[in-house]
Amino acid sequence: MYRLSKLRFGFPIGLLLMLFLDGSISQIFSTHLFRPSAIMVSHLVVLWLIAAVLFEDQYDIPIARWAAAAGAIFDLYYTGIFGVYVFIFPLAVYLTRLMVAYISPNFLSGLLIYFIDITMVEALGYLASRMVHLTSMAGSTFLVTTLGPTLALNLALFVVLYFPIRWVYNWLK
Amino acid sequence: MQKFSFNRRLVIIIVCLIVSFALMTVSVAVRNKRSTPPLIQQFGNDIVGLTDRIVALPANGLSGSVSSISELLNTYQENQQLKKQVGELAQTKVRDQTLAKENKQLKQQIKLNDSLTDYSAISAAVITRTPSSWQNQVVINKGSSAGVVKNMPVMSGSGLVGRVAEVNKTNSKVELITDNNDSANRFAVQITTKSGKTVNGVLSGFNANSGQITMNNITTKAKISKGDKVVTSGLGGVTPKGLYVGQVAKASGDDYGLSTKLYITPATDLSDLNIVTVAVTKQ
Repeated sequence: MYRLSKLRFGFPIGLLLMLFLDGSISQIFSTHLFRPSAIMVSHLVVLWLIAAVLFEDQYDIPIARWAAAAGAIFDLYYTGIFGVYVFIFPLAVYLTRLMVAYISPNFLSGLLIYFIDITMVEALGYLASRMVHLTSMAGSTFLVTTLGPTLALNLALFVVLYFPIRWVYNWLK
Repeated sequence: MQKFSFNRRLVIIIVCLIVSFALMTVSVAVRNKRSTPPLIQQFGNDIVGLTDRIVALPANGLSGSVSSISELLNTYQENQQLKKQVGELAQTKVRDQTLAKENKQLKQQIKLNDSLTDYSAISAAVITRTPSSWQNQVVINKGSSAGVVKNMPVMSGSGLVGRVAEVNKTNSKVELITDNNDSANRFAVQITTKSGKTVNGVLSGFNANSGQITMNNITTKAKISKGDKVVTSGLGGVTPKGLYVGQVAKASGDDYGLSTKLYITPATDLSDLNIVTVAVTKQ
């Protein structure tokens, strides 16, 4: 099924597009997103990956592999520190697969799953950066200035983009 | 059977963790020591950078047109203010040219080719920014083929904004001075006080809450006052002399009362960068 559908090319192209949009959004809205009191990091890549798990049905997209590829590009091109998101993105996909097995995915449960995923991605990213001394931000500061605003932004993006992305996936099938 | 699969999963997780740590440590070490990233990474980054432009150029163009519309609204006032400044600027420019010429002649007389103040500039556009809350990095569209070398200072508007952290063939990463990580390179700067004394020092970090650059461990007796200009000193070799960093906002004792701590207001808005200039020292 997967091999014959448009998803075979559509999914990776969308993934790359989201990856680059993350950077472009950060650049264009940098004055609004990166305030010292509230730092919002957009994670459209994670949104695209999670949406793939939610909407894939019986198409069996190799999402985890593509997630690792997206993570590798993210690490090399954006941060320059290899070995962080290349593991975190597939882990987010795995976690979502686990949750989807228990909760049937719809808009509200999807929001909940996305909440947990973003928390995990941000928290693990923070721990990794703390460990290699890329940041010296305290844990409590991280919770208040980064995790909270980031969750707010990404959940808002989820609400706005859920139906458009579902439409795109249905079109690709 | 259940137990076996659980153990296998645990092993996979541990192996992944170890590999992740190893890779992170290696990349941090490579980033700090080598002048450029490994060839494969460079090649990959070049390809990704080229693809990124397909997305980034329309996006940046769109944002540019939106901001130009909003700028149109206060153009009239700005124009009047600028007209006044242009008159003064022309005068300064002519004087500047004369001085540069004189400087050149004097250098010829003492057979000095290039001094610390000489640098040429490469202008570059910012393609994208790292979506991360602690890594304040931007990717610019000039790389080693345009002559960019690692650790070169990067300026925007009237002041220093960062240094080149990684160089690929067609793009490079710039670490902004707002980045506070341990391995960030600190700039050697000097301050000329009102009484004419020169104080040397090294920038030590960035205070995100106040938006000011901090400078620690100044033990001079010279009185540093608010408004003194901070420029790079050119010591250390990579940074040319005389790049404007900012103005002293506050001078106070440090936490232990032994030395002076300075707060410097940066000359440019560090959160909004579109076009930057890489300063190339003449060797």
